[in-house]
Amino acid sequence: MKIWSTEHVFSYPWETVIKAAMRKYPNPMNPCVVGVDVLDRNLDKHGRLHSHRLLSTEWGLPSVVRAILGTSRSTTYIKEHSIVDPVEKKMELCSTNITLTNLISVDERLVYRPHSENPDVTVLTQEAIITVKGISLSNYLEGLMALSMSANARKGWDAIEWIIKNSEREKVPLCDMC
Amino acid sequence: MNSVGEGCTELKREYDQCFNRWFAEKFLKGDRGDDPCKEMFKKYQSCVKKAIKEKDIPIDGVEFMGPNKEKPGS
Repeated sequence: MKIWSTEHVFSYPWETVIKAAMRKYPNPMNPCVVGVDVLDRNLDKHGRLHSHRLLSTEWGLPSVVRAILGTSRSTTYIKEHSIVDPVEKKMELCSTNITLTNLISVDERLVYRPHSENPDVTVLTQEAIITVKGISLSNYLEGLMALSMSANARKGWDAIEWIIKNSEREKVPLCDMC
Repeated sequence: MNSVGEGCTELKREYDQCFNRWFAEKFLKGDRGDDPCKEMFKKYQSCVKKAIKEKDIPIDGVEFMGPNKEKPGS
């Protein structure tokens, strides 16, 4: 098991970042995400919005990891649960893979909050637990996965900024750009 | 962006567009009126559920074992 974490600051207010985070896909930085579906969505009694989504991804694992695990399956499915609290100004998102689970599990948690001292910027904290199951190389593979998480995190930040810049500039609803 | 069900993509786009507008213009501003996307979501959801069943994607019974080791409260 390997635990990975990082933090990123966006130079935009929380509302702007959250709007982009909710419609993050598609974007040029994450071409591997080929499908996003909302499975369920509801408001709880505290007025928080819960969304359960299914992400369909190609090449969800680094190629070296796929080669060693011996899987040729190219579509990996990820389930995601997000909670947006507009009063507390907090968005929390948990995701986990639901296929290849006998080989590997990547559980990720992201929290977006306004910076405690500067409401014009937003802090994203991100952590993941990576577990490769039942093979002797698992330590090595978990290390590789953690490296890949870091690269992917950067792509994710770039993606959010790309969405913000494009939607702000063009005022085009993202769906029309799919 | 596509749906997991090829035939659901158009329904998804309509719903996403409706949702994104509601989210930005109502929800984030504290407006708790009726959900204008409800009917669109129902149609889209039944299409997706069918596709998930056909493709045998195991969406049920997955626990979110996030690093905080607890399921987000509902």
